Amino acid sequence: MWLPILFLMIGIALGFLTNITIPEYYSSYLSIAILAAIDTLLGGIKAHFTHVFEDRIFISGFFFNITLAVILTFIGDQLGVDLYLAAILAFGLRMFQNIAVIRRSILALYHEKRKKRRVIKGKS
Amino acid sequence: MMKLKGKHTILSLVLFTFGFLIAVSYQHTKALLGEQASDQEWEKAFYYRQQLIQFEDNNYRLQQELDSIRQDILQLEAEIANQVDTIGSAVEKKTSLQALTGELPIQGPGIYITLKDNNFVPSEENINDYIVHDRHVQLVINELYSAGAEAIAINGQRIFSDSHVVCIGPVISIDGTQYPAPFVIEAIGNQEIMKESLELSNGVVDLLVNEHIEVELGKRQVIKMGARIG
Repeated sequence: MWLPILFLMIGIALGFLTNITIPEYYSSYLSIAILAAIDTLLGGIKAHFTHVFEDRIFISGFFFNITLAVILTFIGDQLGVDLYLAAILAFGLRMFQNIAVIRRSILALYHEKRKKRRVIKGKS
Repeated sequence: MMKLKGKHTILSLVLFTFGFLIAVSYQHTKALLGEQASDQEWEKAFYYRQQLIQFEDNNYRLQQELDSIRQDILQLEAEIANQVDTIGSAVEKKTSLQALTGELPIQGPGIYITLKDNNFVPSEENINDYIVHDRHVQLVINELYSAGAEAIAINGQRIFSDSHVVCIGPVISIDGTQYPAPFVIEAIGNQEIMKESLELSNGVVDLLVNEHIEVELGKRQVIKMGARIG
């Protein structure tokens, strides 16, 4: 269970330590990529709660979403159309939906647990 | 169990990437803000530099103005120095002239001449022919002035350019002050010339003696006369 958190820490530390500088022109790509990553993570958590989680879909979705978002932004840049707005809109909407599902699931879980405890208490 | 482990590995990988991205983005944004700040700072520096340049420009201009004004002052000072010289000589001249006109006290060598009524008056003669009249005094004064007298006084009263000498019975009035005989007329100036001119044959002294007046003539090394009062 601690392994993912450890890796998260390592990733953050590495990001700070490598001191990568990106041209200002590409900063929007980075933000879009981050948004895609957050969306995918939330999607994975939601899948976990709804018991449809699958490794391959999760990992492929993670990288594919990021790549797609970046490509979309790139095309938008080339055409002079703010296509990255579409990505932001889509990811944002999905993020809220996913969060809502996660919240509901957590609440349901909590409720169930209390019910169970009560039942156990009643039995004893 | 194996599946769980794989799931965790995938989650770890994803989170690693996610953390990396977030860290880079955070750093990048921070750097961007810093750049903006430095941009602002640069603008500020530019503004102040511009102001500094303006100030220096102003200073330069004012310095030049100051220099030119200093030069003017120098010139004026030189002029004033010249003027002081001329004023000095003018003041000297004025002082001597004032001494001559009687506005200042004067002293110097000169002569005196005393006119006395004759003590001996023959009874058949008119006494008027034997006393000193104003015209005698005027004669002496005019002669002295002709001989270059610088200042003249009668019985210690100085004669000015607007003085008058008149007879009032047995006394003579000089500028309203009455004096009886004898009259001592003092004159400052060249002693020799004045004495000579008075003693010319058929000159003033001869005339006075002819008119039965006792005349006494002499030199004095120091004669002092006061200034005009009022």
